[in-house]
Amino acid sequence: MIYMSSLLKDLRYILLLVQWDLMKIVRRVIFVAMRSTWFVIQVVFFGPVIAQMVNARGIGLDVSSYYNFYLLGIYTSILFTITASRAYDIAEEFEEGIIEYQLSLPMNRKILALGRAIGSGIASTLFTLPMFLTVIILAKEFDLLTIAISIVSALIFSIAISGFVLTTTLSIKSSDATDIIMGVLDAILIRLSTIFYPAVILKNIAPYYYAAIINPLSYLADLLRIFYSFEEFGEIVIVNPEAMASYILGLFIGFTVLAMYVIEKKIEGGGWR
Amino acid sequence: MTEKAIEIINLVKKFGNFVAVDNISLTIYSGEIFGLLGPNGSGKTTTLLTIATVYKPTSGDVRVYGYSVVSDGDKVRKMVGIAFQEPKALGIDKPYDLLLWHAKVVGYSGEEARKVVKDVMEDLGLWEHRNKYFYQLSGGTRKKVEIAKVLIQKPKVAIFDEPTAQVDVVSKHYLWDKIKELKEEGSTIIIATNDMFEAERMCERIAIIYKGKVKAIGTIKELKDFVPLGDTIELELASYADQHVLDILSRFGKVRGLGNKVLIYVNRGEEVAIDIIDALRRSGVKIVRIMVKEPSLDDVFFYITGAKLKEEIS
Repeated sequence: MIYMSSLLKDLRYILLLVQWDLMKIVRRVIFVAMRSTWFVIQVVFFGPVIAQMVNARGIGLDVSSYYNFYLLGIYTSILFTITASRAYDIAEEFEEGIIEYQLSLPMNRKILALGRAIGSGIASTLFTLPMFLTVIILAKEFDLLTIAISIVSALIFSIAISGFVLTTTLSIKSSDATDIIMGVLDAILIRLSTIFYPAVILKNIAPYYYAAIINPLSYLADLLRIFYSFEEFGEIVIVNPEAMASYILGLFIGFTVLAMYVIEKKIEGGGWR
Repeated sequence: MTEKAIEIINLVKKFGNFVAVDNISLTIYSGEIFGLLGPNGSGKTTTLLTIATVYKPTSGDVRVYGYSVVSDGDKVRKMVGIAFQEPKALGIDKPYDLLLWHAKVVGYSGEEARKVVKDVMEDLGLWEHRNKYFYQLSGGTRKKVEIAKVLIQKPKVAIFDEPTAQVDVVSKHYLWDKIKELKEEGSTIIIATNDMFEAERMCERIAIIYKGKVKAIGTIKELKDFVPLGDTIELELASYADQHVLDILSRFGKVRGLGNKVLIYVNRGEEVAIDIIDALRRSGVKIVRIMVKEPSLDDVFFYITGAKLKEEIS
């Protein structure tokens, strides 16, 4: 009974921390508007042009299929960028003393970490939802179960990345270092993945391929591709859907546990540079 | 006032090579208002933030009602509420939303939270500001929002870090009353302040902290007694205070004659004044007026820290 009551309390704290992130959503409107503009340019202009340029038939796809392949890659990259941008929000919160305030609140630090990672993931996924719906419309895929599973996959991925961002930003405690690390990660992870190019093509360039097959972005992008066009993309993605889903789940567990450990054991107020 | 609310045991807190708190030990008893007094950078805030588990001790420990901030942080946080020196909010926050969220986190249900937040905001004159953005608020109003968090929470241990800095005089007195009400309701209060008047008016016991160390601790009276020859007895005589009179008075302390007035610097002025009256009467010297002045807390503060500060500057 006591265990139940404690569990309910923790669940309440998590919901309140999610509410915290949703309350602050307004401060990111301009950033998201910029990324949305970039997204629109990609799907309306670059996507169709690239689909024409790529020799899709060489990998067993037609032009329209490659366009769909590209759309789901672009969506994954924007979800990652928006989630990673949480680092700047966390840096701002640290500078304004919000992290110190939250460290003083009557809740377990593990719950604080978990709540902030989930809240961050939900906020980021919500921001990208209009883009995701645009992708679905453009890809002409309207199966509700598939849509639900895709959104849950994106959310789990986003929470995992949030856990990583939370751990990194609070550990390095430096706005400048955060800028550099997140900028480099954004550039490297998006390029060294299957966001733009199928794994079957990357196999020809060994270092690129090996980087791509351990890259989390490859797994979400290819998983979404499988959900929407299994028949067409089945042969060109990294591994089977179960393995991709397991990888994303593992990432979620790994990074949230890491965030919980680091925030409980290592993080304290003060000392932001 | 016998139960120990907070025990600070050989607390050391370092930031890199900088020692912010240097082996502090002190006890704060349940139900008292305890003050931490010290110049900027003396370690007051670091000590408070360690009690609130925001900082981890480098060594030593703090026990809050027996629970260690090192090993029982969750239990400590359930008992402690803190109003930070700098209000903790983002510019886009609105006071009502912020306080409502805080009320829910500290355990109020939805309806209770709305009621207590409205009551406290109205009480502190914040209700009219409830939907403004934080960046639109004055420094004093922001400070009140920060204090409102603790008044809503009603924690077992309430910490206020410079609670009335930037607050106008009228509000300052009102906030002091509110903090005293919190004590009456059962909270143990810790106040860090630079304001001597605030310390003297609010605190039952005070620790003077300097360069991370506790230099003196006690009631206001005990601290004032700490200053050697700190009391001043001001005598007005019916006639000129000649050398004979000054010789009589110099037995009691350091004497300064100013015509028919004499200033005598002594310890425990009230007790000595009786002996002075007695001695002068026996010598046939007529006293027109006698006044005993205690040292101010400023004097105590300067005695303990001021001299050393001057040394540092020179």
